[in-house]
Order: sequence, then C-alpha cells, then structure tokens
Amino acid sequence: MIVRVAPEAFDPQAETASFVSGRDEPGALASFVGYCRAATEGTEVSELSIDHYPGFTEREIARLAGDIHHRFGCLDLLVIHRVGKIAPGEAIVLVAALAIHRGEAFDAVRILMDYLKTDAPLWKKETGPAGARWIEPRAEDHARRAVAGKEMA
Amino acid sequence: MIRLVFLGKLGDAVPAGLSEVALPGEVKTLSDLRDWVGRTAPLLGRAIAAAPTRIVLNQTVAHDMSASVRDGDEIAFLPPMSGG
Repeated sequence: MIVRVAPEAFDPQAETASFVSGRDEPGALASFVGYCRAATEGTEVSELSIDHYPGFTEREIARLAGDIHHRFGCLDLLVIHRVGKIAPGEAIVLVAALAIHRGEAFDAVRILMDYLKTDAPLWKKETGPAGARWIEPRAEDHARRAVAGKEMA
Repeated sequence: MIRLVFLGKLGDAVPAGLSEVALPGEVKTLSDLRDWVGRTAPLLGRAIAAAPTRIVLNQTVAHDMSASVRDGDEIAFLPPMSGG
C-alpha cells in the first residue's frame, strides 16, 4: 500500500503506470483522479489550498486505506493527495486499486474516496473573486459516507 | 511548554504567540485547555465551539476530554475535514 501526501504537482498517469508496472497477479485496476476545478457553482476559483497536519494526516489516510484494503481483499492500493497551493486543472487526489477482479477494485476506490471527503485530516480553502472560503463536506458527501460506512460494517 | 496546532479555518483565528505557550497553571486536562483557549482567544474559542472540533493529543485522537495535559505535549484542534 502506498500513501503519499504531495506538496508538489504529480502526474496521475505516470503514478498509475508505475503502480501497475511489473505485476502480473492483478486482473483489474480501477482508479479515480480528482482535479481542481476552475469554477465552483458558477464562481471562478483562482486557487485551491489544502491544509494538513503533517504526520497525522498521512497516518490517518493510511489507516482508512488499510481498513478498505482488508475489507475488499484488494492486492494493493495507492493514494496520493496534494496539499498546499493547487492551480485549476491540477490533480488533487489519485486513488487506485489493484485486485484479482473488477468488483473489489471499483468498490475499494469508490469507498476510499467517500471516506477521504469527510474523514481525511485535510482542509480545503478556495480563493475566488470574493476572497477565500473554507470548504466543508456537502450533505451529499455525508450521505455517501454513511452508505460507505454500512458497506464497511 | 506545550505546542498548540490549529488546523483549517481555526488557523485564521489564531492570535500571534499561541503556537507555543507555557502550560497554564489552571490547565490540567484537555477540557481545561479548551476553556483556556476560549478565554485567551475568544474569536478562536467561538470558532472551535461553532463546529464539531476533534482534539488530537500527541498525534492520537483524544476521545476523553478529561485526559491530562503535560509539559511537552502537542495538542491539535481539528475542525470538520474536507479532503478528496
């Protein structure tokens, strides 16, 4: 399992290729990449900034990923999450799962993303024309997390 | 001395000089510390009270607010998270 908090921009395609490289056991790779939008609900975003708690953030993400890894019997999981200042168009998060079959890989990626939205020690701040504002999970994020929690139980 | 870490929006409300402080005599527990922060920095105290705030003691989530605070501890205040 690889969990990395990245202060610099990363290339999701290159990271995914390197994650898969040299393995012949998995029959499935599923991945998700979240990007920084240039606008949120019609309002321009000039910059996204993500605060984290060094050490604790990495360990908590690794703990969440570890639980999901075991629950779905994946062969391996990769999580890379940006912190610091992020420009529109840059990748914020990459989650990839390798598994024998597609079902476990899809489930692991989806559930890990649902957990990251509400349970990863990360704090997003968007800057736009009206200034900066801290982002909190939406009702939809909490609803998805509740469903994911049931699937993990 | 104790180290105080305020994450996310709480970081905007932190007055200068609050990241490292001498352990105040009246602070024995995490609950005391939260009250002390509220008295010392009312704006920050209101921000902590306004949303469910988790407290992390020496890099471990604290579930018991009666846990002791000792010299050399690092205590972090975590507002609701927004990753992904």
